[in-house]
Amino acid sequence: MSLKRINKELTDLGRDPPSSCSAGPVGDDLYHWQASIMGPPDSPYAGGVFFLSIHFPTDYPFKPPKIAFTTKIYHPNINSNGNICLDILKDQWSPALTISKVLLSICSLLTDANPDDPLVPEIAHIYKQDRSKYEATAKEWTKKYAI
Amino acid sequence: MSDSDDHDEDHEYQSFEFESDYEDEYFDNQSENSSSSTRSHNERVSPSKTSTSFNEWTLPKFILTVFLDKYQKLKDSKLGGCTDDDLLILLHYKRWQADEVINDFFDNPKKLFEQAGLPVPPQKSANHLKSTTSFDCSVCCESYKQVMVYELSCSHRYCLFCYHHYIYNELSTGKLIHCIQPDCALTIPHGDIDKIFDIVEHDSSIIKITKPLNENRLLVASAKIFVDSQSTYKWCPAPDCKGFTELVSSATFDEATLDYKDISIIPIVRCAESHEFCFSCNYENHLPCPCWVVKKWIKKCQDDSETINWIDANTSACPNCLSSIEKNGGCNHMTCKKCHHEFCWVCLGNWSEHNNSYYKCNKFEQDMSEIEMKKSKSRLTLQRYLHFYKRFTIHESSMQGDLKVLKQINNVAVMYLESRRKDSSVTSLAWSDIQFLPDAIRALSNGRKTLKWTYCFAYYLMDSNFQEIFESNQDYLNRTVEDLSEIFEKITTTSTKGDSDIVKLIMKNKTKIINLSNTISLRQKTLIDGAYHNLKEGLMKFDA
Repeated sequence: MSLKRINKELTDLGRDPPSSCSAGPVGDDLYHWQASIMGPPDSPYAGGVFFLSIHFPTDYPFKPPKIAFTTKIYHPNINSNGNICLDILKDQWSPALTISKVLLSICSLLTDANPDDPLVPEIAHIYKQDRSKYEATAKEWTKKYAI
Repeated sequence: MSDSDDHDEDHEYQSFEFESDYEDEYFDNQSENSSSSTRSHNERVSPSKTSTSFNEWTLPKFILTVFLDKYQKLKDSKLGGCTDDDLLILLHYKRWQADEVINDFFDNPKKLFEQAGLPVPPQKSANHLKSTTSFDCSVCCESYKQVMVYELSCSHRYCLFCYHHYIYNELSTGKLIHCIQPDCALTIPHGDIDKIFDIVEHDSSIIKITKPLNENRLLVASAKIFVDSQSTYKWCPAPDCKGFTELVSSATFDEATLDYKDISIIPIVRCAESHEFCFSCNYENHLPCPCWVVKKWIKKCQDDSETINWIDANTSACPNCLSSIEKNGGCNHMTCKKCHHEFCWVCLGNWSEHNNSYYKCNKFEQDMSEIEMKKSKSRLTLQRYLHFYKRFTIHESSMQGDLKVLKQINNVAVMYLESRRKDSSVTSLAWSDIQFLPDAIRALSNGRKTLKWTYCFAYYLMDSNFQEIFESNQDYLNRTVEDLSEIFEKITTTSTKGDSDIVKLIMKNKTKIINLSNTISLRQKTLIDGAYHNLKEGLMKFDA
């Protein structure tokens, strides 16, 4: 069942590709994808391209896919292992969501961080207290790792 | 009694106990049950002055009493425009606080409905399951020629298989389940959940298995989560038992300052299937041992027993330095690696004397006293531990054997009676005639349990003359338990002519069985009361 659905998503991505991101399988394994998203222009990540790994569980779409950044990124909701704290990847997941929708949500998370539910409290603290310092560091990391 | 978080629920439940004016037979049954359970409990095994009282629960009973009673109450208050499904959803949403539902409903019905995921304006009950043709499900991406679909009033349609899979995953949260569509907040009614499961799991749309509401899958899941989250509720630890118990009151029971002497404060409770267990350590009824002794013992057994058993079976101690030696091959002439003492593996005698013509290894009469004398204290402690540990485990395994035999006997008796019952001309045996069997089963397994724990108790006990009395009580109980066990075993092994023969033998031994069961309960009580008294008076002490 999950294979059919993953295949469908793959064809849909090919037919109508989103402008700011791309995704597709790594090698022959349809359950393991790689995705890339462009840093949103109105964010300190602008100009960078960030890679992510996607692992589909066998009972996808009833369980959320496991998605993590493989490119280092300075963000209050993304930790050094690339794990993302995003509600739709956890308890707010719905089988009607797709990879394309999830990637768009991740893009908007880059624009609007959620410092009140942080994965990295230190970054969230700086984000709240000294926004310009946060933006400077995020830009620096983007230049260093994502270009 | 509980954390502040739990307070609401506690209060909610407690209020039940006093609002017994409801014309609700469930509740009346419940209050009767709980008081009787407390009473009989006190009479049975605990030392006479126990302060533990508790309620035995099963999930269906719990759902009826705690959840559905509110539902009934709300139905009676007739909130305008609400269907029964709506009311159940509203109550679930408000965590079964009927008053909150009523208040919020009269305050702002629209807001309440939106929050709980109900359509505004309210709609009449509709059938959300439909059969349709040529349907593409966007979740599983299958194209169906003919399929059952589910849709709420939002018209988001998905196939029934996807809904089944989705709900199956969501059930574990115990919360209300919404439409699959991510931005749609409409709630799936409780009844629909069971309908979807029944149709998908029984692979037929005609079948109509209507589960009673107190077995509804979502309500069961929700009740489980509720029980898990409350410190006053605990699941019965017996294998495969689905019962749980609510502790109503007990002596102040703080593990840190736990009184080493007073075993009357141990909160021994019982589940709906008559398993007794300790509410504090969530272990089976371990009287006469206090909880701290139990913990110590279990830890010791886990740490040591396997190793010790192995050492005991596979090694010998060097007769000179007493280090454990494993012989993995070769002849019987051993040389200790530690002290270089040479000895014979078979008789543990000195090797230098061994080859003399007058010395025979295979002679039986050995002067063991020297070796005995040499045995170090640590070796003795080990043997002491093994002595108690073996008896402890023997009773554990005998208990399992007993239960098997008893289950067989009970099944045979019940089946036999049932077959006789159909034949209405025979009235020689009635249900009440075999009621003594479950009682005997309970007495036997409880007796063994107590017996088992007396070995743990004795292991940690300091030497004293009162130990003698304890041991003789232990012996009495042991003999009665074995006698009863033997009778049951004989019944199953000697009857060759099938079930009716077994029943005949059971009835023949009825008086014996009843008497022995009573004696077991009595001796068990004497043993525990004696332990309680002697510990309290300081006549017996633990070697901590």
